[in-house]
Amino acid sequence: MSQRSAIYVYGIVPGDVEVNADIRGVGDPQGKVTVARHQDIAALVSKIDLDRPLGRPEDLAAHAGVLDSVAAEVAVLPLRFGAVVSTMDGVADELLAGNRDEFGDALRQIEGKAEFVMRGRYAEEVILAEILAEHLRLRELREGIANRLADATRPERLALGEAISNALDGKRNADSRIVTERLGELDCLVNVREPTHELDAVHIACLVYTARRADLERIVGELARQWEGRVNLRLLGPLAPYDFVTTGLSVSG
Amino acid sequence: MTTAVQPAGDSGGFGRPSSSSLADVVDTILDKGLVIDAYVRVSLVGIELLTIDARVVVASVDTYLRFADAVNRLDISDNEPKGLPDLMEDLNERGGRARTKGAIEAAGEKVRDFIDEATRERRSAGRGRGRKDGDQ
Repeated sequence: MSQRSAIYVYGIVPGDVEVNADIRGVGDPQGKVTVARHQDIAALVSKIDLDRPLGRPEDLAAHAGVLDSVAAEVAVLPLRFGAVVSTMDGVADELLAGNRDEFGDALRQIEGKAEFVMRGRYAEEVILAEILAEHLRLRELREGIANRLADATRPERLALGEAISNALDGKRNADSRIVTERLGELDCLVNVREPTHELDAVHIACLVYTARRADLERIVGELARQWEGRVNLRLLGPLAPYDFVTTGLSVSG
Repeated sequence: MTTAVQPAGDSGGFGRPSSSSLADVVDTILDKGLVIDAYVRVSLVGIELLTIDARVVVASVDTYLRFADAVNRLDISDNEPKGLPDLMEDLNERGGRARTKGAIEAAGEKVRDFIDEATRERRSAGRGRGRKDGDQ
């Protein structure tokens, strides 16, 4: 317990992976990322100072950066942020040796694929106008509180806002369905994520064969043009398959 | 090399390369990925994690009030007889759905008591024309 440093683990990779000497990880100063191996599997690790709490924005970015830079090249099973093991021997003998078959299976399942995330954000004025246009009752609610003092109309404003929020849910579901259907041609696993912003239009992860990346970009490009001015669409990736590995270690969708 | 998320390419439409913001990273890594406790017992080390809760509560009183205010600020003015339809035409040009246009024009006059029945609304669109949103 007097130990002051330990080993931070980013993810599991095939045993023949080499890491560039200049890759830096979490911590301040940033730890040098190295590889702990056991037979045909390995872990990406760096030394970490246990006296400092972890979780600065730089730490989060470093965790994702290490995994994503690797994911562009090889299969990698990302660990959740904050995985720490006492020693390098612990990584090799306990983490890797103890779970070799499971990790090996999962790595084979994601080989040749990477995660991409589509994030779309509604343009507020445009989507609100669209919703008002489709719902007479909301236009009436809006009329009812126009030019009245905010304090006097709080219940009505809450009702209006809640109804708009519900209508936005509907928009989000419909637009997410459109994206999911378009992704169907890529033969990929899809995970529709929970919205994390009130104007989120789509927030969808997919596990795509990297050989089909150009097709994915074409589809996203077409959607972006179709929704221009209405939804600001971004494509992130390639990323490690965060959304598609689970602790049961079956690759899931 | 630490933030090596690659640009998504320049295949048009979504334009500029997207890089992951901190919010993107938080949404991705905090509650996803393999949990080390499931694989390691003996040499597991707990480390203090700074409290990170960047999640936005999507449905809340604050959100509702903000939406209501945003809707009130929308430029759909009553003394401007063509306000809403114009806005919708603008919307259509920008990629919105042409289908909604008929619904707007009709809504003011004839069909106050139902919502979302696009076909009926379209049918009465012609008669709705004179009033527009003046009485909505």
